Amino acid sequence: MGTKLKVVDNSGAKLVKCIQALNATKKGAKLGDTIVASVKEAHPNGKVKKGKVVYGVVVRAAMPRGRCDGSVVKFDDNAVVLVDKQGQPIGTRVFGPVPHELRKKKHVKILTLAEHIA
Amino acid sequence: MRLEKCWFCSSTVYPGHGIQFVRNDAKVFRFCRSKCHKNFKMKRNPRKVKWTKAYRRLHGKDMTQDSTFEFERKRNRPERYDRNLTENTLKAIKTIDKVRSRREAKHIENRKKGKKAQERREARNELDQSISMIKAPSVLKEDPSLTLPKIKVKVSQPQAEEPMEE
Repeated sequence: MGTKLKVVDNSGAKLVKCIQALNATKKGAKLGDTIVASVKEAHPNGKVKKGKVVYGVVVRAAMPRGRCDGSVVKFDDNAVVLVDKQGQPIGTRVFGPVPHELRKKKHVKILTLAEHIA
Repeated sequence: MRLEKCWFCSSTVYPGHGIQFVRNDAKVFRFCRSKCHKNFKMKRNPRKVKWTKAYRRLHGKDMTQDSTFEFERKRNRPERYDRNLTENTLKAIKTIDKVRSRREAKHIENRKKGKKAQERREARNELDQSISMIKAPSVLKEDPSLTLPKIKVKVSQPQAEEPMEE
């Protein structure tokens, strides 16, 4: 909570601040988790305006996360893709690499939009 | 499941080991252990760190070109299971491994070849040049037993046959 995350889609938001992690654990969001966030910076003519409360999926996290095969993956930065309440992405493009764990979390739409899958 | 190579030390990364780091341009760096990961974070160049495979290859310490390396290659096409093929592969692995270890031993032997003569030459040079560190040159002059015996050599030289003219 309180983490500022980069928005890596073309929804219009640039930077969001996490205000709630929607997962069972109380330790905060990890790679692939959904969060509630408030938009801190936004492009002037985007779909999402500054100050709105939005949902997002964490697609990159600098914190190492264990994979199902026992290895560990970590990324360069903390990044999020904005989604609506049903889990459909708001933007139409996703930039940079995203992990394949999103498939398990039922975010196949983000995976199809992504440039690279790591 | 695939056995990847460590980005830093080029050793094999077995499943469940190590960590992988994905850069924002989607390049994946795999590390076999935290030692390699830390060295990467310190921005060290594996070609300049002596214990890595990259350094050893670059400086001719290890065998680099060999036909046995051709077998170990990344193949993206999955092979259909065939019992005979698997059996033959398992047999071949042993043979190839034996051949490669023999060739590597030969490579090291070859590398060591000129070493003994070089050491001997250096020792002789040192003895010639810095004997004065043990015995002062003046002592050597006084006591001829400390130096090598003088050998008389016949020199064919015209010895003042013509007296000097005045």
